[in-house]
Amino acid sequence: MTDAADVLVTGDRIELRFPARGDLIVLARLVTSAISARAGFDIEELEDLRLAVGELCLLTLHGSDARSGDLCLELTVLGDAISVVCTLERAAAGEAPGPEAAEIAQLSEQILDALVDEHGRESLDGSVRAWLRKRRGGHAE
Amino acid sequence: MTGGREGTPEPQSEDPGTELTPLDAAAREEVITSNLGLAHQLARRFLHRGEPLDDLVQVASVALVKSVDRFDPARGVDFSAFATRTIIGELKRHFRDKGWAVRASRRVQELYLELGHATGALVQLLGRNPTVTELAEATGASEEAVIEAIEAGQGYRATSIDATESEDDPLSARLGELDGNYDSVEDRALLGPALATLPPREQSILRMRFVEGLTQSEIAVAVGVSQMHVSRLLSSSLQKLREGIGQTESEPR
Repeated sequence: MTDAADVLVTGDRIELRFPARGDLIVLARLVTSAISARAGFDIEELEDLRLAVGELCLLTLHGSDARSGDLCLELTVLGDAISVVCTLERAAAGEAPGPEAAEIAQLSEQILDALVDEHGRESLDGSVRAWLRKRRGGHAE
Repeated sequence: MTGGREGTPEPQSEDPGTELTPLDAAAREEVITSNLGLAHQLARRFLHRGEPLDDLVQVASVALVKSVDRFDPARGVDFSAFATRTIIGELKRHFRDKGWAVRASRRVQELYLELGHATGALVQLLGRNPTVTELAEATGASEEAVIEAIEAGQGYRATSIDATESEDDPLSARLGELDGNYDSVEDRALLGPALATLPPREQSILRMRFVEGLTQSEIAVAVGVSQMHVSRLLSSSLQKLREGIGQTESEPR
């Protein structure tokens, strides 16, 4: 089903940018599926990574004070792992995230704990940069 | 801030001789009740894998109860974090135990083939190519699943035409049967003008049946008539075609 031309290898990097809206996170999940499959992740690992990338986007989106902007996703194949970095490029700043955002972030981080090998996030000038790394081979529960 | 995998707490040894006091039982129930929302939220995160929400909520709720029983405050781990990991673990196990990894691949393939049928029927019905939203409605799948199946289908197209999708339904059976019954260029040349003499609806029905490979029931749904009526239209259309090309071939099966 997959020929050599479809395979992604170490160092291959894919960037995706889309308007920062929750209903468009589906785009990030779809791209993640396609990339994971081409990087040799099995179907369960692929589903985990897809779920995790959705959470990563939520973390970035809800942790920021942006009113509009773009979500930027950078997926890199590194050996037997895929690393994903999600950032938000703000077009206009809005109100600071409220307590609801903290609850969403807490749940997202707990989900990431269960799905990937490493993850983290930093706040940068009102915006959030979140990242994860998942290895193939069934490391995460 | 860095997350990462913490050591999963070992289950506490179970002591069947230890009974909960009424206070313990009440506290246990309160912890379970107050975390049912968490179980529900986590179950929803697994919705796109094709299992009903009710089943997932049930699995998550049972896992929540397990996590309450296994939780050891002495380990210094936050309960909700421990419960999240336990519940996600159980949800994943649920899919593993059901052989989901195998079915998922098959599910995508089946959906891809189903999309072929649905597209043909919707083209006839709408007079234009359907949107992903319309395909999702027609097949009962999510838009995401439809896109995924289309994407995956690019690979499946390389599959042998005789690859067996199921024992009684090889891919080649889905190609339609018109070509098999008119195996010469001359026959095709005769058929074209004869087809053109049929009313547009009968032409559409013949195309759906013998080119798209739809069943009579599927055509009935697409056209909005009964299956019996489709059967009668097919018979009369084929008879007109035979008369039109001066042949008396038996009806293709």
